[in-house]
Amino acid sequence: MTNSADLVLDGLARRYGSTTAVARMDLTVAAGELVALLGPSGCGKTTTLRMVAGFIEPSEGRILLRGKDITTMPAHQRDTGMVFQSYALFPHLSVAENIAFGLKRRGVPKPEIAQRVARMVALLQLQGLEARLPKQLSGGQQQRVAVGRALVINPAVVLLDEPFSNLDALLREGTRIELRRLQTELGLTTLFVTHDQAEAMAISDRIAVMNKGRLEQLGTPREVYERPATRFVASFIGRANIFVSRDGRSEDGIPLDGPEGTLVLRPERVTLDEAPAEGPNAVAGTVDLLSFLGTGTQAVLRLPGGRQLLVEGPASLADRFHTGGPATARWMRDDLVALPAE
Amino acid sequence: MTSLRSPLGWVLRGMAVLGFIYLLGPLLVIVAASFSDTGYLAFPPQGFSLRWYHAALADARYLTGFFVSLRLAAMVAVLSLIIGTAAAVALTRFAFPGSVLLEALFLSPLVLPALVLAVALTLFFSANPIAPPGMTRLVISHLLVGVPMVLRVMLPVLRRVDPAIEEAARNLGASPTKAFFLVTLPVLRPGLIAAAALAFIFSFDEVEMALFLGSVRDAPLTVVLYGAAQMQMDPTVAAVSSLLILLALLLMVAQQMYANR
Ligand SMILES: Nc1ncnc2c1ncn2[C@@H]1O[C@H](COP(=O)(O)OP(=O)(O)O)[C@@H](O)[C@H]1O
Ligand SMILES: [Mg+2]
Repeated sequence: MTNSADLVLDGLARRYGSTTAVARMDLTVAAGELVALLGPSGCGKTTTLRMVAGFIEPSEGRILLRGKDITTMPAHQRDTGMVFQSYALFPHLSVAENIAFGLKRRGVPKPEIAQRVARMVALLQLQGLEARLPKQLSGGQQQRVAVGRALVINPAVVLLDEPFSNLDALLREGTRIELRRLQTELGLTTLFVTHDQAEAMAISDRIAVMNKGRLEQLGTPREVYERPATRFVASFIGRANIFVSRDGRSEDGIPLDGPEGTLVLRPERVTLDEAPAEGPNAVAGTVDLLSFLGTGTQAVLRLPGGRQLLVEGPASLADRFHTGGPATARWMRDDLVALPAE
Repeated sequence: MTSLRSPLGWVLRGMAVLGFIYLLGPLLVIVAASFSDTGYLAFPPQGFSLRWYHAALADARYLTGFFVSLRLAAMVAVLSLIIGTAAAVALTRFAFPGSVLLEALFLSPLVLPALVLAVALTLFFSANPIAPPGMTRLVISHLLVGVPMVLRVMLPVLRRVDPAIEEAARNLGASPTKAFFLVTLPVLRPGLIAAAALAFIFSFDEVEMALFLGSVRDAPLTVVLYGAAQMQMDPTVAAVSSLLILLALLLMVAQQMYANR
């Protein structure tokens, strides 16, 4: 893994006056790997991406691309292909000219440019639109031109900044599957910025979860979901009930049979029934909310201590329980996942 | 939408025609009068003659005035474009304290009557003779209106252009200079041309400041015409005006053809 590293961020940091946008970030992206930078708005994702592209100078640290230190290299000499959140298509150039732009700058011979543009147009299903101007395209088509323009130069690393945020929900899912397929097929090393955890889970090899400029956890989608490293990761990726367990009880007095310390209980691990709560890992409460989600039902159980316990179960939950009525929540010992001590 | 066939549609059409007559009527009167075969301005024209055109072109004052105006307007257009665009870039790309106030301040000369500016500038220059009377003073004065005009055009143009396109160009391998010439400039060009044309036409047509601040030697065409119209109201004035109308018409057609290209 280390010797096929395409992109290495080594202690990369950026400060603006007294605010730290990115704090000493260490990250390695392997050849052909897609890593998502995931985190809430303002956590430093764009700043990180723009340092790699060469638009922002790091305050500290180094960037290595295919083993070469590019930390101080001007943007236009770096071999990166960026897809901008706003697409940033050249409004005065046609679709074909937009895609050909990077190839022309690299002095690729004309016949080869035509051939590579045509291939990209076909890959992205833009046939027949080659002569159009960006303003004559739909949002989805513009997005594909932006992707094509960045990929056609076959960059050492592809950088995407929330590329789907301007698409409607349906188009977004289709497009991200399409992008993932293209990325795997072409073996592109990719750094992908998003604040949407479902999107990151769906298409990444690994996810780098960021919070307030810090890298909180780096791991596969399953690792960050099943073994969150911090409280923040646990509640940002999926939904979580969090207990602080001491001497077999949570801070609000629920008897727990599991590890000590901060524990994460995922809503889908909790079951509901009508029997009384006895022993540990069971608690009775009042149903506050039942919402049918299509694939299942989400319930909020209000516990005597005031806590709202999140529960996700089959659609039938909505038939067996009703808002305002009683229910007992249960879970297994293994469902309580301890966070590493902070 | 109101159908154009409805009674209201006919009323609207009628009003549009009246509007055109109102706007273009005076121009037609001037053009018609310039062909009159009389020694005074006559409308409707009597007879047909080109001799006032001969007279206009033979009169050195008009030709000199024309070239003074051309030089003046060209300098005002270029300088307004440079200063106005730079200011517009600063106002749109960098948010700094007071930028909103500065924008309002920049645009304020547009709302002052030219006569007020002319009087104020005359007083200013007599108190501070920083430039000799004539061309230099005229250029400085016209910039007071030309720069805000360019700003007026370029502010919305720059606000519409995605600042990321220049970065996209650099990301794809264009040096900063190349990115400017391959992307930024072509995208801004229609706006720049429109802005320069506006400043040029303003300066070329301006009378008040030219009267107050110009010198006899550097009298722009408008001042020459103004003098002639007061002294001898013969059809030469109409002939010169008609030539100017023709020139404006050609410029407008050229601009439209460029815009619709
Ligand atoms: N040019 C700048 N000047 C000052 N602060 C900035 C600048 N750019 C970004 N920041 C700050 O850095 C932090 C990270 O920003 P950004 O990388 O854009 O976050 P994200 O892309 O994750 O939403 C934010 O708190 C933001 O306010
Ligand atoms: Mg961002």
